[in-house]
Amino acid sequence: MIFQINFKSGMPIYLQMVDQIKAAAASGALKPGEALPSIRPLAEELRVNRNTVAKAYSELESLGVIETLPGRGCFLKENHSALRKEVRRKLLTEEIDQAIVQAHHLQVPRDEFLELIHERMDALDDKRRAHESQKEVDRP
Amino acid sequence: MNTPVSAIQIENLTYAYGRAEAVQDLSLTVEPGRCYGLFGRNGAGKTTTMKCLLNLLRPQSGRVSVFGLDPAKHEVAVKRRLAYVPDQVAFYPWMSVRETLDYLASFRERWNRKTEQELLERFLLDPAKRTGSLSKGQRTQVALIAAVCPETDLLVLDEPTSGLDPIVRREFIETVIGAYQEGNPGNRTIFVSTHLITEFEGLIDQFTIIDRGRAVLTLNSDLARERFQKIRARFAQSLPELDLKAALRVRRNGRELELIANGAGAELVERLRQHNPEALSTEALTLEEIFVATLKS
Repeated sequence: MIFQINFKSGMPIYLQMVDQIKAAAASGALKPGEALPSIRPLAEELRVNRNTVAKAYSELESLGVIETLPGRGCFLKENHSALRKEVRRKLLTEEIDQAIVQAHHLQVPRDEFLELIHERMDALDDKRRAHESQKEVDRP
Repeated sequence: MNTPVSAIQIENLTYAYGRAEAVQDLSLTVEPGRCYGLFGRNGAGKTTTMKCLLNLLRPQSGRVSVFGLDPAKHEVAVKRRLAYVPDQVAFYPWMSVRETLDYLASFRERWNRKTEQELLERFLLDPAKRTGSLSKGQRTQVALIAAVCPETDLLVLDEPTSGLDPIVRREFIETVIGAYQEGNPGNRTIFVSTHLITEFEGLIDQFTIIDRGRAVLTLNSDLARERFQKIRARFAQSLPELDLKAALRVRRNGRELELIANGAGAELVERLRQHNPEALSTEALTLEEIFVATLKS
């Protein structure tokens, strides 16, 4: 897992890390049971405060994306959402609303917007399939 | 519930050398576990502030406390809990690196030999070499090792990277701070002064900018990067008439416009958008850019 931290995005660093791990989990770049980099080397590599990395990991843990095994490190969890379905829908609705507002400002009409969503979901599926076939190849 | 005692609390600190005011009415609080930056140009009052924390100077008015203690009254108790690297590092030149570290360790309750060894190797320092024959950068490295090994609750660093070359500066950030924090994650506090802000970008979680002895801005780093924005717009023809009073700084060049905003970013972007710009983009300012923008405005 290679992180890209951008100090110019205006987004808190720990949230950038949270988002990247979520994206990697969704695309299959990071697989359930796979270990995340340990805190100190990662902090040194990214040149960020170790507390920032710890904050990102604890956020992911409270979201149920990863789990910490004492003395062994952090791992991506199987089937990760610990939230109830209504809550998950609500969280997603907020994000979708934001994208819709953005679409309005960029003059992207409904059909085009829906088409784009299909396209992006297909792209994610493709990525996931690519990571899976990679796994097949890796297997001895 | 008990609120934890602040690692450092400075209230209305004033100090003058004769008639030259070095620090005027400075207040700031550093909570335990933070990595706190004190940013200022040369002569802004950074070193004077730090010396007051160490009882090397006595505040002429105002109060300083370290872990709730007055450094003048409880000098030993305060010094037991902190390590300090001054801006000018000096050792006994006839002592070897090994002897110097042993000598400094003899004043301390704890000394992490493993960290010492690790850092000596990482910095490629020869323990047998006399400190008098070390370069300025190497002497700073020895001082940093000596500050990290006692594993104190607070590390006070005055311009720690100024004499170091770029590669060693990186190493410093990556290893020294990492080694220090690792021993007791979330509890070790760093108070660092610098004008080389870029190197500390990802480490600092809160900062105060001081200018001519006064605090000009105190902010959490994440919040600062969210609040300070650079907005660029390009228009098809000439620049429209715009009310840009909310911007901290405005640069115009032909059809192009560049604004620095402090908090009013969204409002300014909306105003620009109404004039249908050809291109419009925003990015956050880095801490160094925030430093420059704050001192220039």
